[in-house]
Amino acid sequence: MRIVIAEDAAVIRAGLVEILTDRGHEVAAAVGDAEALKAAVAEHHPDVAITDVRMPPNYTDEGLRAAIEIRRDQPGIGILVFSQYVETRYAADLLAMGSGGVGYLLKDRVADVSEFTGAIARIAAGGTALDPEVVTGLLNASRHASALAVLTARERDVLALMAEGRSNSAIADHLVVSERAVEKHISNIFSKLGLPPSDSDHRRVLAVLAYLGT
Amino acid sequence: MSKTLATAGGYNPAIMYDNHLMNRPPASFLVRLLQAPFTRRAWAELLYSLVTFPLAIAGFVVTVAGIGNGPLWAVSAPGVRKLGAASRVLAGQLLGENVPAPPRLQPRPSVRVTTPDPGRLAAALAEAGAKSRRREGRGEVTVRNTSPSRVAEIAAEAGVTVGSLRSSRSLAWYVGAMYDKPAWRARGYLAVKLPLAVADLVAVAVGWLGGLFLLTYPAWRQLAPIGPVGGFQLTNLASSFLLIPAGAVLLLAGPRLMHKLTMADRYLIRELLGPHSAAERVRALEESRARVVDDSAARLRSIERDLHDGTQAQLVALAMKLGLAKEKLGATAPVDLARITQLVDDAHRSAVEAIAELRTVTRGIHPPVLDNGLTDALATLAARSAVPVELVTDIPERPTAAIETIAYFSAAEMLTNVAKHSGGRHATLEAVHVPGLLRIRVTDDGHGGARPTPHGGLNGLAERVRPVDGRLDIVSPRGGPTVITVELPSHA
Repeated sequence: MRIVIAEDAAVIRAGLVEILTDRGHEVAAAVGDAEALKAAVAEHHPDVAITDVRMPPNYTDEGLRAAIEIRRDQPGIGILVFSQYVETRYAADLLAMGSGGVGYLLKDRVADVSEFTGAIARIAAGGTALDPEVVTGLLNASRHASALAVLTARERDVLALMAEGRSNSAIADHLVVSERAVEKHISNIFSKLGLPPSDSDHRRVLAVLAYLGT
Repeated sequence: MSKTLATAGGYNPAIMYDNHLMNRPPASFLVRLLQAPFTRRAWAELLYSLVTFPLAIAGFVVTVAGIGNGPLWAVSAPGVRKLGAASRVLAGQLLGENVPAPPRLQPRPSVRVTTPDPGRLAAALAEAGAKSRRREGRGEVTVRNTSPSRVAEIAAEAGVTVGSLRSSRSLAWYVGAMYDKPAWRARGYLAVKLPLAVADLVAVAVGWLGGLFLLTYPAWRQLAPIGPVGGFQLTNLASSFLLIPAGAVLLLAGPRLMHKLTMADRYLIRELLGPHSAAERVRALEESRARVVDDSAARLRSIERDLHDGTQAQLVALAMKLGLAKEKLGATAPVDLARITQLVDDAHRSAVEAIAELRTVTRGIHPPVLDNGLTDALATLAARSAVPVELVTDIPERPTAAIETIAYFSAAEMLTNVAKHSGGRHATLEAVHVPGLLRIRVTDDGHGGARPTPHGGLNGLAERVRPVDGRLDIVSPRGGPTVITVELPSHA
C-alpha cells in the first residue's frame, strides 16, 4: 500500500514510518503540516493518507480540513484522521463526507500494531475504522437514545463494534461468540432500530453511522 | 479601658490625644453632648479649620487662575502639589488622618523633530495616536508623551524624512506637569476645600463666638444690644437671660457641625490627595484581575501544548515501539533479536525523553525546589543560568507562597534576559527580604539600553508583579550596567 503521513510531532511521524514500512507498506511521503499533506497527496496519489488534526501554523483543525478537501477532490483516497483527542464534532464532519474509506483513531491505538495496520487496510478497502471512543461519543450524543435503550447489553456491544467498522468475524472473535450469533444480533438490531437489512459489512456500517449521526 | 477611650473620643485617641476622661466610666449621651465643645477632638478640628483656611484660599486662587491658561496650569503644578502636601500633613498631625503621598511628578518623554514635511509627519503621528504640534515656520514638530525611538519608527513607517530628533527635557517636564494627575486631583480638592473652609469658619463664628456671646449676653446687653426681636427689646437684664439657652445650643451644635464638615474634608483628602482615587484603584484592580485571568488561561494553554507536543508524543512513540517489539516477540517466525533490541532501545530512549520533558513542564508550573524556600530555589536558578551569576540572599523570614513564586519566575525572567539580550558576562542576583517587602535585583555588566517592549520580557515582568501591587524599576543607560529591581509585598 502507498501511504502519505502528515504529523507534526517528529517522534510520532518517525514511529509511524517505522511501523508501516515494517509491515511492508510504502510510505511515499511523511510531512509536518496540512499544506504539505495536500501537495504530497496530489503528487503521490496514495491509497491512504494519514493525518493529525492539530498542526502548524495555527494548531487548530488544519489536518481535518485538509482531509475533507482531499476527500472532495480525490474521493478514491482513503483517509485516516489520527489524533490525540476525540472530538465528536470532527467525527460528524468526517462521516458527513458520506461513502466509506475513512477512519478516525486515537493515537493510542497505534500501540496495538496489528489492530492499527488492520484499520488502515480496512480504510484502503473502502471500509471504516472508528475509534471506540468516537463510537461511544456518537452513541451518547445520538438523538435516538430512546430507540437505543431497547437494545440488550450484548446488542449494544455488537452495535458499537459494528460502528467501529469491524467485520462479522472480527466482532465474533472480539466477543468470543460464533459468527452465527453475531448475525442474529445484527438482524435483531436492524429490526429494532427500523433499519433496512443490508448484506455488505460496509454498507451496514454506513447505515448504522447515518442512523447515529442524524 | 480602651472601650472607655473609644466611647469618649469617638475614635481611638490613644494615638493622637491624651484624654482626661480616661478612668471614668462610659459617658452618657447628655454628658458627651455637654462635653462636646471641650474635647481635644473639637479643639483639634477648630485648629485644623483655622490653619487650613489660608491654604484653601491660595489653592482656589491658583486653580482658578490656571483655568484656560495652559502654561500657568503646568507651572503651578508643583505649587499645587505642595499645597496638597501641606493639607495632608496638617490632616495627619491634627486629625490623625494619615494619607500616603502620591508618586512624584513624572516628566513625559517629548521630542522635537525637524522635518521638511511637518504636515505629513503630524498626520502620521496623529494616526499612530501620538499628540503633536506643528511649527511650520521652523519646519519643526513637537511630539508629546512619546519616546524618540517611537517617533523615528512612526516617521519611518510613513516614509517621512526626519532631520534631527531631540528629546526635550523642558518639554517633557511641561507635559508631565500639565497632565500630572496628582496635581489635577489636588486642584479638585483645593477647589472644593474653599467652600468647605468657609462653612467651617461659619461654624466657628456662629457656634463658638456666637454661642459664647449669647451665653454671656447679660454682661454685654448694654454694649451690644440685640433686638428688637418680635417686638421685644432685649436690653433689660431679665429678658437678656432668655438668650442664654440659645447660646448654649449654638455652643453645643457648633462643634458637631464642625465635626461633620471635618469628616467630609477627611474623605476628600483620602480620595484626592492620596496616591490614587478609589475609582482609579478599582479600575486598576479590575484590569489586573482581567490580566490574571487571561494570564492563567494562557498558561494553561501553554502547559497543554507542552504536554501535547512533548510528553504525550513521546509516550505515543514509546507505545508504538513497544507494540512493534511485542508483536515481533510473539511472532511464529524466528525471532529477530537484533531488531527487537533496537526497538526496545528506542522505546527506552523515548521513555527517558518523556520523563525529562515532563520534568521541564512541571518545573514551569511550580518548581519543586521552591518548597524549600526562595534561597534554595534562587540558588538552583543561578546555577542553571547561562551567564555566571553571583547570588546574594538575605531572607530571614519566608514571604507567602504566591510571592515566592512570583519572585522566582521574575528572577528567572531577569536572568534569561541577561543571557539573551544584555551581552553581559556576569550578573548579580540579590534577594533581600525586610519586613513587608521582598526585593529582587539583577545587575549585569552588559551593554545596557534595556527598554520594555510589547510582548517583551520586561513587559512580561511588569505584568507578573502588577497583580500583587509589586513594582518594577529599570535602570539601563546605554553602555550599561543594567539594574533591574522588582519589589513585592511580603504577603499577597
